Amino acid sequence: MINFNKVNKTYPGGFLALKQVSFSLASGEMAFLTGHSGAGKSTLLKLISLMEKPSSGSIQVNHTELADIKYKQVPYVRRGIGMIFQSHNLLKDRTVFDNVALPLIIEGVSHKEIKKRVATALDKVHLAAKLKCYPHMLSGGEQQRVGIARAIVNKPPILLADEPTGNLDPKLSLDIIRLFEEFNAAGVTVLIATHDLGLIARMKYRTLTLKEGTMINDGIVDGLQVQGGS
Amino acid sequence: MSNIHSSGLKARSSLLTRILTLPIRHVQQAIGSLGNLWRTPFTTVMTIFVLGVSLALPATLHLFVKNAQQVSEKWDSAAQITLFLKLSTSEKSTQNLIKRISLYNEVAEVRYISAEQALKEFKILSGFGQSLEYLETNPLPATLLVTPTQRASQAQAANALLAKLNKEREVDQGKLDLEWLTRLDAIARLIEDIVLGVALLLCLSVVLIVGNTIRLAILNEKDAIAIMKLVGATDSFIQRPFLYSGIWYGIFGGILSCIAVTLLAWYLGYAISDLTALYQSNFQLQGLTGSEALMLIAFAVVLSLLGSYISVSQHIKAIEPNAD
Repeated sequence: MINFNKVNKTYPGGFLALKQVSFSLASGEMAFLTGHSGAGKSTLLKLISLMEKPSSGSIQVNHTELADIKYKQVPYVRRGIGMIFQSHNLLKDRTVFDNVALPLIIEGVSHKEIKKRVATALDKVHLAAKLKCYPHMLSGGEQQRVGIARAIVNKPPILLADEPTGNLDPKLSLDIIRLFEEFNAAGVTVLIATHDLGLIARMKYRTLTLKEGTMINDGIVDGLQVQGGS
Repeated sequence: MSNIHSSGLKARSSLLTRILTLPIRHVQQAIGSLGNLWRTPFTTVMTIFVLGVSLALPATLHLFVKNAQQVSEKWDSAAQITLFLKLSTSEKSTQNLIKRISLYNEVAEVRYISAEQALKEFKILSGFGQSLEYLETNPLPATLLVTPTQRASQAQAANALLAKLNKEREVDQGKLDLEWLTRLDAIARLIEDIVLGVALLLCLSVVLIVGNTIRLAILNEKDAIAIMKLVGATDSFIQRPFLYSGIWYGIFGGILSCIAVTLLAWYLGYAISDLTALYQSNFQLQGLTGSEALMLIAFAVVLSLLGSYISVSQHIKAIEPNAD
């Protein structure tokens, strides 16, 4: 589903964010991406979601070489990738319903279908009662769940989450990760970037570890040890 | 196989739904953009006023030129050639000449004023009635007033006709006072050129004003645009509300300019009627016709749409989403 082959990313100014990064994530797999701040986690997610272009190397998503994608095709590729951010990225002047409905409106789904699918997505994140609320009326955890509902509402095959539990307490963090597990169980490929090693250790999923742009480990974290590292 | 078939059907029905919902989405975005303008009333009203005034100026000048042309056309058609016949010309020769001139393609009408009739009119108009009684012979020649056709009324054609008429052996002298008409034509052309120049500048200002207003609106919505791009919105989807805003600006600006021009024409109409009445003329200032008003509004929409299109195509592409 996601395939990185010797990917390098150098930002203008010469900062080398990723060095020779290679890994594959199969369809329906769930994995964590970890490392210290500045290790290159966000850069890696940005490359998958076409917010950045690699300086060299190859990235394939669903057998499509991202380097071959033209500017006009980018939105259509992004529709197949659900993105979740630490800062939620919600539209402040729109209700929860409007925020979650946005990807469906963009796709041109009928109003009747939008109502149905938004209700289902909000039900999954336990926010069905907050339909008419504005983001500022919600807690941090609720806003994060609205972001998740928006990311899954158009049923994308891939979910990318950048520090989705960054501002949440441990219980809420676990709830959010359980939600990702549910989506993964339904066949969605999930990649979660986090520096919460405690959470990673508890979940026992494959973990990709970056250090200063280099992939230093690829395996399951048990306690704080990495098993089967590549 | 049946899965492939059903998925194909689903894709087709999905495409059909999208095509069917496209006009609804356009209407929703058009109404939504109207709502956005409503939420910023001060900026919206100011922009509409600036557009209205900018368009009202060339529209008023157009009205001025239109009315001037109408007056000039009346004078054009009134252009006549006066042919003074030789004193020796007999009545029979005069009648033959009238017949010949009437057959000219360039001539619409020929009116004959005999020497006696000319003297009679002169007595009445000059106020020398008594003194003229003492003349032994009538010094005035018989005259033909030749009215050229519409096509032959223009300066060049009328001069050519005069030259032709002067060659007739019975004609002593022909006169055509075209200088004032030529000057009027030149002034009208100059005013038309000025109007065109001013109109072009003001139209450019309309494009720039709308472009800048839309640019500010885009910058104001920068974060929302970045989020929309993140969830897969195409540039055209993001552009649409801004383009509709441009259309609304054009419609309201155009309507405002129509109202302004109509009010101005109505206000000046009385003053001009009073003035022309002093010259025994019943001239009425013509305002904007229905089709001209519609054209003005359509023109305003085109200009505003152009301004907003330039702005969106420049700025929306430049906004890129950021995951931070």
